[in-house]
Amino acid sequence: MLHYAKIWAASARYSITRTLMFRGDFFVWSLVELFWMSVNILTITVIYEHTQSIAGWTKYQMVLLVGTSMLIQRFLMGFFWSSIFEMGRNIRSGNFDFYLAQPGNVMFMATTRKLDPDSLLNSLVAAAVVIYAARQLGLDPSAGQIALYALMVLCGVVIHYSILVLSISLAFWLTSAQGIEGIYFTLTEFSRLPRAAFTGIATQMLFVWLLPVVMVTNVPASLLVQGFDLTLSAWLFGSALVWFAAAVFVFNRGLRRYTSASS
Amino acid sequence: MFAIFDKYRQVFLTGLQSNIVYRFNFAVRGFFSLFHLAAVVILWSAASLGGSGGIGGFSLGQTITYFVTLLILQFFISAFNEDYQISEEIRNGLINQFLLKPINYFAYRFSIFVAARLVSGLVVIVPLLIALPVLREYLAFPHDYRVLLFGLPAMAMSAVIQFSIAYCFGLLSFWFLEIQGFVILSMALETLLGGQMFPLDLLPEWAYAIARCLPFYYQMYFPAAIFTGRLTDPTLIFQGYGIQVAWVIALLLVNQVLWSRGLRRHTAVGG
Repeated sequence: MLHYAKIWAASARYSITRTLMFRGDFFVWSLVELFWMSVNILTITVIYEHTQSIAGWTKYQMVLLVGTSMLIQRFLMGFFWSSIFEMGRNIRSGNFDFYLAQPGNVMFMATTRKLDPDSLLNSLVAAAVVIYAARQLGLDPSAGQIALYALMVLCGVVIHYSILVLSISLAFWLTSAQGIEGIYFTLTEFSRLPRAAFTGIATQMLFVWLLPVVMVTNVPASLLVQGFDLTLSAWLFGSALVWFAAAVFVFNRGLRRYTSASS
Repeated sequence: MFAIFDKYRQVFLTGLQSNIVYRFNFAVRGFFSLFHLAAVVILWSAASLGGSGGIGGFSLGQTITYFVTLLILQFFISAFNEDYQISEEIRNGLINQFLLKPINYFAYRFSIFVAARLVSGLVVIVPLLIALPVLREYLAFPHDYRVLLFGLPAMAMSAVIQFSIAYCFGLLSFWFLEIQGFVILSMALETLLGGQMFPLDLLPEWAYAIARCLPFYYQMYFPAAIFTGRLTDPTLIFQGYGIQVAWVIALLLVNQVLWSRGLRRHTAVGG
């Protein structure tokens, strides 16, 4: 465990040094994420000029939901995104060899190599959005509730991470995993919607239960808004475990097929 | 005189061929847009239920129709990766060949853009037809032929604006190594102010007035609003044409300036 913490810290140091080298880039990308988050918040604000509730959620409850979705996404982007995407490219090009020679679990090494400090910085903005919404709602969560919220957000990050690793691992079979990026962003659109809005059976099965992108944000947000629900929280925790196990399984299966492409 | 057109007609035909190769990619992209539409339907249905049964004076059907129209327009007129293609040609020196030939780079690129959008526009009809049985109950297009009469010129000019903005970003490669950050930054603005998150008439009066002066409004929202009957007052439509023409001219001028300035910095790497 300590060994991995040391490896991770080395990667983090490297990423931060790199960011300091390309300060302009860092600035532009921080702005990009900030802009996109504002777009989502503004959309909510405009819609609520014309309606009182969306599937029973008031304006600031929705802001809290969207804030939670942003928080999970920022963490995923900050800690894993670049590494996971490079993994897809490396599998195709054969540069993946490099990870096989490293002193640690391959999946760990390949998915934690790069941090994106801009996303991590923006996760503070996302957290501020959540706190602001909670204040507006007059919520006064207990320390236990906050800890549970954090745990549920963590489960969300694990689920998103696993879905991504799983999809990119398909590159072991298909050699190309291009376009998955777009699919991921389409899915996150659903994560900004309240669960109760999914009235159709097909959409409910697909996005709420099968691909838990909706639950990932709804469970932590409702935990603050409506209070703790043991079944839902346990369900999210369980699906985080299942998805993670599936990702590990598929990744390792794929790894066996990896033949290295370069000569 | 005709020789000039013939030149770009050939470019267009070649562009058509090379884009037909990607018909499958466009179809997949179109298919995934259906997921986006599903999210739109879920969100706006819930919002309309939570209000007075409509949104901003329009029925749920009209609202969904607006988003479906946007989707179709997107595949017919919006720039996909033209900015990156131009950026690539500048960075790896492929652009040099055009400097030596009697060909206008903007016109050349625009001909390919028109061909590409023709292909992607026709291809997106397939997934939409598949979704039609579900979508049909939400569709509420105005039954008025004038909508087409007013909308098509706006749509054509929107295509020019879309392309010109992408072209501008591509040309930034004369100055910057990486344009991706700029492109995504402006994409956020375009998404919001072009009306892709919500119909712009839902904005508060003052914000809508500002949006109407910006080029993004004429990139997508303007033709979509005409086609879906959100914008019906002829005075407002003709006012819109006026501003749209002004933006077309302004963007073409900016392109010209960027091109001539950029070429002065260009070092023609590779070839």
